[in-house]
Amino acid sequence: MRESHLKILQYITAIGIFFLVGLHLIISHLSSGEPTDWTSVAQRASSASWLAAYILILIFGIYHGLHGVRGLILEFSLPDRAVKVLNYSIVFVGIAVFGYAIYIPVHAF
Amino acid sequence: MEKITFKVQRYDPDKDKKPHIQVFTIPFKHGMTVLDGLIYIKENVDNTLSFRSSCRMGICGSCGMLINNLPMLACHTPIEELKKDTITVKSLPNFPIVRDLVSDLSLLFAKHKSIKPYIIAPDMAEIEKPTAEFLQAQGQLVEFVQFAYCVKCGLCMAACPTMATDKHFLGPQPLAQAYRYSADRRDSGAKERFRETDTPHGIWLCHLAGACSEACPKGVDPALAMQLLKRGIISDSLRLRKKPVPPSVAPPQAEKKPRVAVPDFTIKKPGAKS
Amino acid sequence: MEAASKQKVPLPNRLGIKGWAWAGRYKIERYLYTLHRLTGFGLLAYIALHLVANGSRLWGESGWESTMNFMSNPGFKVGEYLVMAAFIYHALNGGRLMLQHLGFTLGKPKPPIYPYVDSMRRRRPLVWVLLALIMALAIYVLVEFVISGD
Repeated sequence: MRESHLKILQYITAIGIFFLVGLHLIISHLSSGEPTDWTSVAQRASSASWLAAYILILIFGIYHGLHGVRGLILEFSLPDRAVKVLNYSIVFVGIAVFGYAIYIPVHAF
Repeated sequence: MEKITFKVQRYDPDKDKKPHIQVFTIPFKHGMTVLDGLIYIKENVDNTLSFRSSCRMGICGSCGMLINNLPMLACHTPIEELKKDTITVKSLPNFPIVRDLVSDLSLLFAKHKSIKPYIIAPDMAEIEKPTAEFLQAQGQLVEFVQFAYCVKCGLCMAACPTMATDKHFLGPQPLAQAYRYSADRRDSGAKERFRETDTPHGIWLCHLAGACSEACPKGVDPALAMQLLKRGIISDSLRLRKKPVPPSVAPPQAEKKPRVAVPDFTIKKPGAKS
Repeated sequence: MEAASKQKVPLPNRLGIKGWAWAGRYKIERYLYTLHRLTGFGLLAYIALHLVANGSRLWGESGWESTMNFMSNPGFKVGEYLVMAAFIYHALNGGRLMLQHLGFTLGKPKPPIYPYVDSMRRRRPLVWVLLALIMALAIYVLVEFVISGD
């Protein structure tokens, strides 16, 4: 995949996070009750639309964050072989974090 | 007589393990530039001081230095404009130091060469043995001419935060020149340059800190060139880029308007009657 | 041959991470770049903590309530506000960066005429407007969600 394709995805995920996290914060805080109360949490956990939103936020957030970290690490003059190791490590970390993070809302659903 | 203090970075590779500062106090005259001060030091105080300079008028780019913590051309920097009694002069950061204020610019030139800084035309025979000039409208020239004013002084590379850590990063100067040639309607090598710059250490490590454009002494605005290069690469990635029209050359001599007859010059030959 | 063997290697002179962090006498965009990195780090750290905290849901209501009690510490409240402010800054500045990376809002190239004014300086009013918007939103969040306790 070309670097420009990765960057385009970075822009798309940025827009996605802006809207999804914004909505997440606004709806959580504007709905009745304290958003961190167990009843509110349980109510959101049983909602399919919230689950879909969480999955999207996770995908976008993990990609955007890890791509940013990758860019930062690349600025330390890594040779080509180390860049390959970095790329595979970032993908592995992303999948691992996604796997852990998606288990929570799916288990609660 | 007014005096001015110069704190100059000194480094002798035969004697020193790291650079140190040497202080000079010299007479100050109205209109003096930092380069004038360094030349005075070399001629009258310490002739071992090493620095590069050539044109002394801001066109060759040789005298790039870090002056009061900003990269500047020494010949282009009047001391009065700095509004300080002490001038600190060091070699350009992000470039290895050869000696005193002399930096090793070979990496800059190698990176510049890597982006193919020349016209790549579909008809290379016309480039090698031109039959006529390439036609280019004024509007087409304005699209890139700003970036052609680059004097390869390296100030933008010294200012760039990415260059501070990444020696493989191409840097503002080569990337701006990659855009300069890709935007030139006479050129058709944009795709080749996109391949060179769309890499892990290429254009995408530019995060628009803007320091390069701030440091540029010729108004080249490399930051603008780099963002336009990003736009070109993204358009190309998404296959939205318009196919460039091959450049045309001026029509042959016969089709041009007849030349206006030039009147005879009256050059008096020796001994001729007036 | 002897001269070549005596030739010294030039002394490396990169600024290193100081070149990222210290914006010195450069203009506002260089500071915005540094702040964008810092807020990115902060948000990444928050995401990790947020995922760990949410993991306590797996232990049912008691696990969740004990985590929420731990996080009702005033230090966490300050941290939460900083995360909100970091999100607002990172999102809006990121929007500006996205537009400018695609060549928008920077103007067109034009032949340089002394005194040179680069595109960053021509478009600086946009940056001031953006910073004012960020400050306004950060103050709104502080008043609405932190001080009034919503």
